[in-house]
Amino acid sequence: MLYLFLTFVVLLLAVTGTRGFTLLFGLGINIVSILALLILIADGFNVLVTTGVIAMVILVVAIYMNVDNSNTATTAFKTSLMIMIIILLITVPLEYWASAQGMGVENQDELEAFSLAAGISFPQLAISIIVINSLGVISETSVAITSGLNEIVENKPTMTPTEIFNDGFSVGNKILNTQTNTLLFNFFSSTFPLFFVIHSLGYKFSEILNDKLVVAEILTTLICTIGVILTVPITSYLVYRKANSKTRKLQK
Amino acid sequence: MKKNIRLLLIVGLIVAFVTGLTYFDSFMYHDPVVKIQKVTNLDKSTSTDEYKNTDTQVTQRVSGKLLNSNEKGKTISFKNSYYKSQLIDTKYTVGQQVILTKSGKSYTPKNVKRDTSIVFTLGLVVFLLYCMKFDRRKLFISILINIVIYYGYLQTIIKTHNSVLLPLTVITALLISAVALLVILGPTYPALMAYSSTVISTTVAVLLSSFVLGMSHYSSIHLELNDFELQPYLGVFLSQVIFSVLGVILDETMDISSSLIEMKREVSDVAEKTLFKSGINIGRELIGPLINILLFIVIAENLNVVLLYITNGNSIGYTMNMTLSLGITQLLISAIGIVLTVPVTSFIASKVITRRMK
Repeated sequence: MLYLFLTFVVLLLAVTGTRGFTLLFGLGINIVSILALLILIADGFNVLVTTGVIAMVILVVAIYMNVDNSNTATTAFKTSLMIMIIILLITVPLEYWASAQGMGVENQDELEAFSLAAGISFPQLAISIIVINSLGVISETSVAITSGLNEIVENKPTMTPTEIFNDGFSVGNKILNTQTNTLLFNFFSSTFPLFFVIHSLGYKFSEILNDKLVVAEILTTLICTIGVILTVPITSYLVYRKANSKTRKLQK
Repeated sequence: MKKNIRLLLIVGLIVAFVTGLTYFDSFMYHDPVVKIQKVTNLDKSTSTDEYKNTDTQVTQRVSGKLLNSNEKGKTISFKNSYYKSQLIDTKYTVGQQVILTKSGKSYTPKNVKRDTSIVFTLGLVVFLLYCMKFDRRKLFISILINIVIYYGYLQTIIKTHNSVLLPLTVITALLISAVALLVILGPTYPALMAYSSTVISTTVAVLLSSFVLGMSHYSSIHLELNDFELQPYLGVFLSQVIFSVLGVILDETMDISSSLIEMKREVSDVAEKTLFKSGINIGRELIGPLINILLFIVIAENLNVVLLYITNGNSIGYTMNMTLSLGITQLLISAIGIVLTVPVTSFIASKVITRRMK
C-alpha cells in the first residue's frame, strides 16, 4: 500500500506540479477530520452534533482550498451549508421511519466475535453516514455550478433573474447527469456483493425490498441525489441576489 | 405556466398514490404483517461490557392488528428486546408496520416494512425533478438503461457463481459508460473522445496498481475482508474499484474535453500544444474535488464497522488496518485513475480537436 501511495504522489506531482502539495495537504486535513470524528463518536459525544461540526470543517477545507476565486468559494460554501441542513432535515424523519440503521442479518458472520452493546446510537450514525456520503458530491456540485454561473453573469451583467435561473438550469443539467452517474455507479459498486449474498440466502422480492441493508443503500443514493438537485436552484438564487445587490449599488 | 402546474399536480398525485399503495399492500405479502398499536416496556437493564461500553437493554411487549393473512384484524402481541444502540436489533414504535413469521400459534418479528419509505423517497426525487426545468427525459433514459444492464450483470454473476466476475465487470463497465455518454453527448466526436480516454485511464490505473500491489505481494491489504467475505477476493475488489471510479472519471473527461472544444470554437487557429497545456490546467482544478467525492463515500460506507471495532477495545491503528485498508487502497487506485485522466484526456482531445474539428 505504501508503494501504491508513492505511485499516486509521484503521478500527482508530475501532472499538477506544485499545486499537488496543496491537494495532498487538503486530503490530509480531511483524513484527520474523519479520524477526529471517529474518536469523538467512540468517546460518547453526540453523533449528530459531532457530524455537523466536522462536516462544516470538511466543507471549508474542500471548498476554500480547491477554489481560487473567493467570490465563487463563498457562494459555493453557503449553498453547501444549506444543502447539508436540508439533507439533515430530510434524513432524520426518513431514517426514523425506515429504521435502516446498523447492520443486517447478512453481516451476522462478521459480527460473531463482537460485543454488540456498543453504547453508540446507530440510528443517529445512519444519519451521519448519509451526510458524510453526500459531502464530496455536494461541494463539487455547488462549486461547479457557481463558477459556471458566475462566469456567465460577469460576461453579461445586465441579466434578468429569469435569465440567471434559466442559465443555472442549463449549467445544472449536465452536472446533474454526471453526478447521478457517479452516485449510481457507486451504488452498483457497493451493492453487487450484497445482492449476491442475498441471492444465496434465497430472498423473495418482497424481502429484498424491505431488507435493511438494501434500503439503507438506496436511501443514501436517493438522498444524495436530492442534495444535488436542490443545489441548482439554491446556487442560482444566491448568484442572482448577489448580482442584484451589485446593480443596485451601481444605480446609487 | 398553467400547464406546468397541472403537470406538477399530476406527478404529485401519482407519487402520493403509489406511496399510498405500498402503505396498504400487505395483502400482497406472503408473511403476516402487523400494524403496531401499543408498546409497553417490560424490563430495562443497564449493563457495562468488558470494554466499558454502557448500554441499556430494553424488553418491550408489542401488540397490534394483523393486516393480512386469514386472521386479518386479529390483535396479536409479541415480545422484543433491543439494545439502545440498535446495531442489529430494532426498537419498535407505535404506527410501524412489521413483517412477522408465524411458528405454531405465536408470532416473532422478522423485519420492519420499509417499502413505503423507499417508494416515498424515490417519489420525492421524481417530484423535485418535475418542479424544475431539468431535461428529465435524458436522465431517466440513461438511469433506466443502466439499471437494466446492472440487473443483467447481477443475474449473470449469480448464474456463473462468480467464476467470471472480473471479465463481466469490465464488459458491464464498458456498456454503462457508453450508455451514459451516448445519452448525455449523443453519437458525436466528443463522446468518442471521452469514451476512449475513460477506458484508457481506467485500464492503465487498474493495471499499474495491480502491478505495484503485486510487487509487494499485497502485503498489509486484507482482500479477504471485503463485504460479506465474498470470493474471489481480488476479483470482487477490482470490480468494486472499477465501478466506483467510472462515474468520476466520466465526469472529469467530459469536463476537460468540453472546455477544450469551447476553446477551439473561440480561437479557431489554436495550436495542439496550447490545447494540451490548457487541458492540464483545467484538469488540475478537478483532481482535488473528485478524490474528495470518493474519499467520503468510502469512509461513510465503512463507518458502522469502524465504530464497532473501536468500541470493542481495538486500537485506532488495528481498526484502520482491519476495516479501512481495503477502502483506502480502493481510493488510491481511483485517485491514480483520476490523476491519469488529466494528461490522457488532454492528449486525446488536443489531437482529435486539431485534426477533426475545423
